[in-house]
Amino acid sequence: MFDTNITLNQFVEAIGESFYMVGMSLLIGTIFGAIFGILIVVTRPGGIIPFPIVYMILNPIINTIRSVPFIILIVALIPFTRSIVGTSIGNNAAIVPLIIFITPFIARLVENSLLEVGPGIIEAAESMGATPFQVIWHFILPEAFASLILSLTTATISLIGASAMAGVVGAGGVGNIAIVYGYQRFDSFAMFSTVVILIIIVQVIQSTGNKLARMIRRN
Amino acid sequence: MIILEDIHKVYLRKNVETTALKGVSLQVDKGDIFGVIGYSGAGKSTLVRLVNYLERPTSGKVIVDGQLLADRSAHELRQIKKDIGMIFQHFNLLESKTIYQNVAMPLILSKKGKKETKERVTELLAFVGLSDKANSYPNELSGGQKQRVGIARALASKPKILLCDEATSALDPQTTQSILDLLKKVNNEYGITIMLITHEMSVIQKVCNKVAVMEEGEIIEQGSVLDVFGHPKHATSKNFVQTVVRTEIPENIKRKLAVREVTTLTKLEMVGDHATEPVLQSLINKFHLDVSVVFTNMTEIQDTTLAIWYLQIEGKESDKRAAWQFLEEQNVRYEEVTV
Ligand SMILES: Nc1ncnc2c1ncn2[C@@H]1O[C@H](COP(=O)(O)OP(=O)(O)OP(=O)(O)O)[C@@H](O)[C@H]1O
Ligand SMILES: [Mg+2]
Repeated sequence: MFDTNITLNQFVEAIGESFYMVGMSLLIGTIFGAIFGILIVVTRPGGIIPFPIVYMILNPIINTIRSVPFIILIVALIPFTRSIVGTSIGNNAAIVPLIIFITPFIARLVENSLLEVGPGIIEAAESMGATPFQVIWHFILPEAFASLILSLTTATISLIGASAMAGVVGAGGVGNIAIVYGYQRFDSFAMFSTVVILIIIVQVIQSTGNKLARMIRRN
Repeated sequence: MIILEDIHKVYLRKNVETTALKGVSLQVDKGDIFGVIGYSGAGKSTLVRLVNYLERPTSGKVIVDGQLLADRSAHELRQIKKDIGMIFQHFNLLESKTIYQNVAMPLILSKKGKKETKERVTELLAFVGLSDKANSYPNELSGGQKQRVGIARALASKPKILLCDEATSALDPQTTQSILDLLKKVNNEYGITIMLITHEMSVIQKVCNKVAVMEEGEIIEQGSVLDVFGHPKHATSKNFVQTVVRTEIPENIKRKLAVREVTTLTKLEMVGDHATEPVLQSLINKFHLDVSVVFTNMTEIQDTTLAIWYLQIEGKESDKRAAWQFLEEQNVRYEEVTV
């Protein structure tokens, strides 16, 4: 029907690879991003555990990494990636720069979400004699939960975009299909399908995130 | 119960110093409902936040229940805070949690058992009249109901002191009244000492027994509510008192007096039982004075009455002197005022 060299199987496999790369880097990136995001909120001047040194170190590091375009990050990180996963090509090799890319992004998003929680809530918590950990756990995180879900949705979509560039280091995924078949072999069907698949995935993730956030906010 | 001794508080923000308190001293006794009134920026919030050490004084002592707070470790301070409840102008409830969970929060923080928590929360929700709202969320409640939740939450850890920072300022007059009634009930039934901040003199009038008036970081006047309402000394206090009690003669009456060339009047202030005693009758019958009432005002304060009379009194000097003597014996304050 179409003039294409690509099989359905290859598509399915590529989608699987994309999910693997995005899933792994999202999981690890969220853990570190949340830790850094929380740290930067609580240690800032006027925060619940002011610790200017931590804040002054973390803040510029996050900014620096965030200002490097992902494609450059992949190449620049090759030696580092090799030392960690033993190789600089393949899906696993792509995950390392994806994590480095997404962690500061998530840290910023988490920071913004947590800062949305008003000072009144924190004042109430402190007036009850809550420990700093309790303030974070029982007050800030639950109040920021819906916003955090939306932040993670944004991060996931960003990661999907970035993972499409992972073909540069020989990783698979739908982005790779677009480059290898669509661009290098002029297979416009492959190119078109990739775009459609990406649009659908992004739509589904965004609306799921919105729905979840709305459920948590109950309105 | 609460003693503040020569408190100074200077905020430093972006190298700009703001002096919020300049040598404030006050004492709140057990069982008091102590009101602090002042205009915006007077330092009221700063003052009340010192009591549970949300704010530390730059100098001066904060002593709560016999403990000098400056000497306490962070851990001890957290324990002390559990003995001091606080409610806020904007309620500060957790929107993500049910009313039940909000009220239970102080107990969760103290790691109380499920059963004890349930009993306490159920009791408190009944006390504030919100038993049927246990599973609602704050955004389903009216402002007055939210403040009731705030009060229930503040009482959860069985505090000895309740701090209220503008707790009724976001509420309409009727709701304000119901919250003030609830605060009175808290004071009566649980014997909790209350310190409340407001910029509305009517709030002080309705619930407080003592009041401090603040202006620009200083307490310019303090005392029992009856005293301060009866004879405010400072101009600002007078302005506040005027908002609820008419202690001055209205302008239109003054104009009429001017026409009649009346220049001096006698002002009587009577508090409590005196206010309702037939003092005027005595002046007329016993001392044969010619008394006409120019202006009068009676105000209910703390279940007693404050009465102010402006009288025009004619008669023999000797009779007048005897009358003044009588008034003094009756503990009625009197003064000659020129209009
Ligand atoms: N955290 C802060 N940092 C710097 N300045 C502050 C801070 N909190 C209060 N101030 C300043 O201290 C002064 C007293 O403020 P405070 O909030 O105690 O007044 P207030 O009487 O409660 O006023 P309002 O009726 O508006 O609530 C004000 O000049 C205010 O700008
Ligand atoms: Mg204030």
